[in-house]
Amino acid sequence: MKKYILIISLIACLLPFAPLAYAATPTPEDKTTEIRDQLITNIASRVAQLKLVEKRGIIGETSNVTNTQITITDSQNNTRFVDVDELTKFSNPAVKGSFGISDITKGETVGILGLYNKESRRILARFVNVMTTPTIIHGGVSAIDSETFSFNVATEEGKQMTVDVENLTKTYSYTQKDGLVRSGFSKIKENFNIIATGVLDKKDKNKLIVTRIIFFPEIPSNPKVNSALEHAQKSK
Amino acid sequence: MKKEKLILYFVATLFGLLVAGIAFYLFQTTRTIPTTATKTITLASPTPTSAPSISLALNQPADEEVVNSKVLIVSGKTQSNAIVVVITDSSQDVITPSANGNFSTTVNLDNDQNILEVTAIAPNGESVTSKKTVTYSQEEF
Repeated sequence: MKKYILIISLIACLLPFAPLAYAATPTPEDKTTEIRDQLITNIASRVAQLKLVEKRGIIGETSNVTNTQITITDSQNNTRFVDVDELTKFSNPAVKGSFGISDITKGETVGILGLYNKESRRILARFVNVMTTPTIIHGGVSAIDSETFSFNVATEEGKQMTVDVENLTKTYSYTQKDGLVRSGFSKIKENFNIIATGVLDKKDKNKLIVTRIIFFPEIPSNPKVNSALEHAQKSK
Repeated sequence: MKKEKLILYFVATLFGLLVAGIAFYLFQTTRTIPTTATKTITLASPTPTSAPSISLALNQPADEEVVNSKVLIVSGKTQSNAIVVVITDSSQDVITPSANGNFSTTVNLDNDQNILEVTAIAPNGESVTSKKTVTYSQEEF
């Protein structure tokens, strides 16, 4: 009886080690499975890495420039960090000859094309281009000066912008009947809903040297700008 | 004798707690607060936001997108009676949405970064604008 109890106890003790005895001698099939699993893991990792990085193009104003990094503020007022390396190419249409990172100064508008890392949220720049971006304003015409070919626009933000019309300015009007057609400065009237595109005067930030104008005679100006319009017209 | 005393103390304490609990419950349920002791607090209604009644959702392009074609499709949705103004660095277009508010048009891009501004204007003059940066490049990196 004692003998049987001893045998059963021994078997019970050895049972948990049975799988290990099998594992100790891998078969060729197991090795293939192991290699296949490793390959799957590597491919999955590579795919994840590839999806983590994508091409992106951004525009912003430089707030800090070092030899390896440019910090910019984008159009949504977000601070963006841009890494530069030996492969990054720099250009400025206004500069002839060589142009590098040391030529970029604080406050310049730059366009950056590079690889955006979704994890680190940084861009590794491949092309950095100093550029001038157009300014687009939308509002209501508050005053017209026919002598100087300029007019004032009250914007939704409550600003009063002076729009300076040049010889090269293209003016369009939009109506339901005619669609978008070429027009002229003389057709612009007070209270018109208007969109003007141009560049800000370097000396006066409230003055827009306009290149394109679209006005909408059939649409009233935004209710948000009406109070600013009334105020501007009363103060004349 | 000592054990009996202990049990008696214990039972008496429990009984006392029970009576005190019942008395407190009855006091709380029958109590009335005089109107002079109450104060009416009026919560100020939140400041109404001046969000425009018009909405604009751009389906494409995505912001900061890099494309390798100079012709870009701009599509989205707004209210059906609005007009949609699409402005890029070098072109402009005004379109009207379909009956369900969907709109789509194509614009030509310049090299490198382009600022695309889409504005929907309602018949009452209210407007909403969406601004995107789109880059045209055929560079491989």
